[in-house]
Amino acid sequence: MRFAVAIAAVASCAVAQKIPRLPDGKPNFSGVWAGPAFTHVVGANDTDTPRVTNFDRSKMATFLPGAEARFYQPPTGNPRHDDPTELCLPDGHPREALAPYAQQIVQTSDTVVFLYEYMHFFRVIPIGKPHPQDVDPTFMGSAVAVWDGDTLVIDTVGLREWTLSASNGWHSDALHTIERLRHLDSTTVSYAITIDDPKIFTKPWSQEFQMKLHPTWTLLEQVCEENNRCEGGKCTASDPQGATK
Amino acid sequence: MTFSSALGRCGAFLAASIAAFGHHAYTAEFDTTKPVKLTGVLAKVEWSNPHIWIYLDVKDDKGNVTNWGFSASPPGMLIRRGITKNSLKLGETLTVTGHRAKDGSNNASGNVVTFADGRDALIGQDQALNPTEAK
Repeated sequence: MRFAVAIAAVASCAVAQKIPRLPDGKPNFSGVWAGPAFTHVVGANDTDTPRVTNFDRSKMATFLPGAEARFYQPPTGNPRHDDPTELCLPDGHPREALAPYAQQIVQTSDTVVFLYEYMHFFRVIPIGKPHPQDVDPTFMGSAVAVWDGDTLVIDTVGLREWTLSASNGWHSDALHTIERLRHLDSTTVSYAITIDDPKIFTKPWSQEFQMKLHPTWTLLEQVCEENNRCEGGKCTASDPQGATK
Repeated sequence: MTFSSALGRCGAFLAASIAAFGHHAYTAEFDTTKPVKLTGVLAKVEWSNPHIWIYLDVKDDKGNVTNWGFSASPPGMLIRRGITKNSLKLGETLTVTGHRAKDGSNNASGNVVTFADGRDALIGQDQALNPTEAK
């Protein structure tokens, strides 16, 4: 038992020594990452496989009385209700983190910036500062970070009622998330997120994903409005074939 | 994953129910009860966001040609898998499988493309509906 504990401690120490760090000694997450929504099977030419990713229902806490119907709202045929991203409206946090697109982290000693390829969203997150006193609800919310050892802990509030993920339901305006980023090795990061929505679930729940650093990647342009079609299943109305062929 | 390794790994996905597109809810736009499989000549490629579109001129038994549009993954998702715009050549004969648009127009999702030499590539979503993800 003691031997196993010692081995684990040595392994942990080896990881701690090898991960990239800022001059102040804090872990450095800077770089372009395949986020939670990739398989992380890295092939030739630094490829990876994006995969639309949702929260696992088995990880979720039980619903408050009546809240399941608020979370799983049946489709109405209105894209704004059924999936707002169909109209190129934002996916918001935390769905953005689970989008099958690359994301870049730019980090300094007092700020961590997430640049998301999908819809060009960003989060500028101060480290060591409190949330503002009066937060207006937004798609990406108000986020602040602190260090817990070598783990970066990001606390987000101020989120408007919106979709939780691509296939999961609607969270409330009371959603609060806690993300924990920690290196598993120099190119792999554990991304654990806690979903705390006291209007929907009986208690907070968490799910852990991984992120993989891709040194050769750069963020691509992603303009959703460029050629968006088939909103609400009506492909004909916006069909550009006749105009461009 | 390279383009070559992306080829030929598609069979298991053909029968898969599809949870979501790279951009939005797949089932909002395409009727998963209406699978399509069409062969035609690649007439146009729109390598653009939020989804690429490829167009096939499909000839029926009487020689009438109908143009079909197929919506596939976004450029970024394909590029990350090793599939680029140059992987699709105008004038090539292709077979595309997917699901027809809900409005019944000659549009569909494009999930798997098969080339004349038998190679195939996943250009749409690559995941089955995970029972744990849906109600």
